[in-house]
Amino acid sequence: MPFFSEVFSSEIIKKPVLDPVGEELGRVKDIMIVKGDPLPRISALIIEKKNKLFNLQWTDLNIFNKRIISSRVYIDNLQPYEFEEDDLLIVRDILDKQIVDANGAKVVRVNDIKLEGYNDNAVLIAVDVGMRGILRRLGVERGGEDFMRLFKRHLSYNLISWNYIQPLHPKLSEIALTVPRQMVSELHPADLAAIISQVSHKEGATFFKDLDVETAAEALSELEPDQQAAIITGMDTEQAADIIEEMPPDEAADIISDLPAEKAQEILGSLEKEDAEDIQELMGHEEDTAGGIMTNEYIAYSPEMTVKEASDRFKVNAKEVETVYYIYILDKDEKLIGVTSLRELLLAEPDCSLADIMETNLKTVPPGEDEMVVAEIISKYNLLALPVVDENGYMHGVVTVDDIIDVLLPPAAKRKRRRV
Amino acid sequence: MTRWKRFLIFLSVMGPGIITANIDNDASGITTYSVAGARFGYALLWTLIPTTVALVVIQEMIARMGVVTGKGLSDLIRENYGVKAAFFMMLGLLIANFGNTVANLAGWAASMEILGMSKYIMVPIGAISIWILVTKGSYRFVEKILLFACLLYFGYVISGFMAKPDWTPVLKSTLIPRIKWDSEYVMLSIAIIGTTITPWMQFYLQSSIAEKGIKKEHYKASRLDVIIGCFITDIISFFIIVTCGTLLFPQGIRIHEASEAALALKPLAGDYAYLIFSMSLANASLLGAIIVPLATAYYICEAMGWEAGVNKTFKEAPQFMWIYTMTIALASFVIMIPGAPLVFLMVLSAVINGLLLPFVLVYALLLVNDKKLMGEYTNPKSYNYISWGTIVTIIVLTTFLIITTFVPLNG
Repeated sequence: MPFFSEVFSSEIIKKPVLDPVGEELGRVKDIMIVKGDPLPRISALIIEKKNKLFNLQWTDLNIFNKRIISSRVYIDNLQPYEFEEDDLLIVRDILDKQIVDANGAKVVRVNDIKLEGYNDNAVLIAVDVGMRGILRRLGVERGGEDFMRLFKRHLSYNLISWNYIQPLHPKLSEIALTVPRQMVSELHPADLAAIISQVSHKEGATFFKDLDVETAAEALSELEPDQQAAIITGMDTEQAADIIEEMPPDEAADIISDLPAEKAQEILGSLEKEDAEDIQELMGHEEDTAGGIMTNEYIAYSPEMTVKEASDRFKVNAKEVETVYYIYILDKDEKLIGVTSLRELLLAEPDCSLADIMETNLKTVPPGEDEMVVAEIISKYNLLALPVVDENGYMHGVVTVDDIIDVLLPPAAKRKRRRV
Repeated sequence: MTRWKRFLIFLSVMGPGIITANIDNDASGITTYSVAGARFGYALLWTLIPTTVALVVIQEMIARMGVVTGKGLSDLIRENYGVKAAFFMMLGLLIANFGNTVANLAGWAASMEILGMSKYIMVPIGAISIWILVTKGSYRFVEKILLFACLLYFGYVISGFMAKPDWTPVLKSTLIPRIKWDSEYVMLSIAIIGTTITPWMQFYLQSSIAEKGIKKEHYKASRLDVIIGCFITDIISFFIIVTCGTLLFPQGIRIHEASEAALALKPLAGDYAYLIFSMSLANASLLGAIIVPLATAYYICEAMGWEAGVNKTFKEAPQFMWIYTMTIALASFVIMIPGAPLVFLMVLSAVINGLLLPFVLVYALLLVNDKKLMGEYTNPKSYNYISWGTIVTIIVLTTFLIITTFVPLNG
């Protein structure tokens, strides 16, 4: 049957379907679609007559447009229909569901679905996520248009082409994306976090499973604590440990301390011993103190080391460490005696010792210092990182400027407010 | 450990159920209980027991749905019943909650006036601070404020004890139902149920539980939280009725507003009771005025698929920000118009709440029994009888209340 026009699903639903002599076969209850190339196509209409459902095949239709739907068969020729989990139905499975609009990292709803003629078939061409879709469903699209014209405005179409829609599941009962899944990893982790924070925890976890370990680790650290805990708890321990290992120890410690004790132990148990120790040490500090926000990954060398040696060692060590702009100088007893910057190191003569170029007038904070005081010091002296040193002169870690910025201006995904 | 930290830990223990319960006692709730206590003494105390039972039955289902589906009620209605059902539900919620916001800001205005401050100054200050607090304040800060506000409700318990009631008749009236065929008595007992079980709190509770990401395995803890919350709601109501019933009822003082109760308490119970009553009313009103518009904007945007979030600009989330801002702005404006039809607005809001409630509850019950959504967590058969019984009773009572609003009973 030829079908050339375009039509919205809302214009079809509840429409009467006529048989060859013009009697009503029933009313359209739902539209069944099947996978097609290039786009999914309608395979049948589910029609309802006196509370009974029938399956009316696409091939049995002879007129299909927004005014008239008629079939070439009579009611006696129709197959009764019962809802099946495996069928893909427009009303049941797609309409009103949420999709992530990756273009702007927001969650929208499918308000309507646009169908178009393609080789004698009706294919699913786009979803309507705009105001027009809502008005059309409510039967007042025209009214809305007239109303907007009063303000000299135009009611714009907001359609997303079906090509862009990639369900995470075959159905849209869970969340779907408007970017191909391969591209998800190319989104910035902060944008990913923004998307995840907008969907339900379960859907967030599904979303997460598809990410590679590195992206997952970065996206995870952008989320609010509740959600981090929910996602990690939902993963199996191995996978969770892989992601945790990838994170800087201070962020890993924050996440683990929010987990239920049992899960936390499990994860710590399957981490590499060294990582686990770093994390456990950090977990011993109060959350909003220097100790609580510091990381214990930093670069430290002995004062006798030459600049040349230090540069060579740096190339190896810096791969593993988050903040590398300062090189700390520790004496034999592991006490902090000086610091030099990466710039100084690069500019210095290769054969002078670190002791010659180091700055000994140090700004440090004790582990128990309040995070706001730490922020003030970092801001006052324009530092990129501030060493945390206890009363005996031992260095425990560094507070980096990005942690301080998170304290002062939490990223949007962390700030996301519950409906208070 | 810092002082704030201890607060935060306390807060994380306190769950959505308990917070919902506190917000449930907003300005209109407090008014109803004060009026009930002053008019009938302890006679209406027994209604709190069936109210608590109904509240527990409904809130438990809502909480279970939140835990199992991880979605809010407005999302579920949109996804399962389509855009029309969701749209009209949200439209009703918008109007009813506008009325609720007016009621809350009016409560704030009244409590400020009896403390000697002009409403023309205090209403704009209150409204603007709420707006700024929510849109500019950090979540942690708002949480702290909310928690502190929740603690202030305890003031009513203190005032209940300060009234020095004779506990024997109090307990007797609580445990032994007494039905009087007096129109005012019937109306007030229905009003107590109506003000305790509201449409918007079902949306609020389910979203906050979904948002917290409580796992199915932890559902038991969540249920406990909800049940404790329901008891707290009614314990606060109990003490308000007891205070007014002990002090105002024997003197034959009739009141129509919660602020009048505070004023009337002054000569009878002294400055402290008066201060506690007016401060608690101010607190409850402001808390309601913070939550109700915010919650409304969230549900509507989620059901409609619009961008939502308080830290977004008007350009990023236009519908959300306009709904939120206009609800507060219009409500404050209405209160400041001299001779504004406040009573009419509140009656309208009560009627719309009453009209909305059956739909919300029926949808909730249908959804909670949907195997596809809830799996093994649907209602057991016996529980369904209780739920339908409760819901039908509430529907009959609220319908009765709506009808008598238009056609007053002759008593």
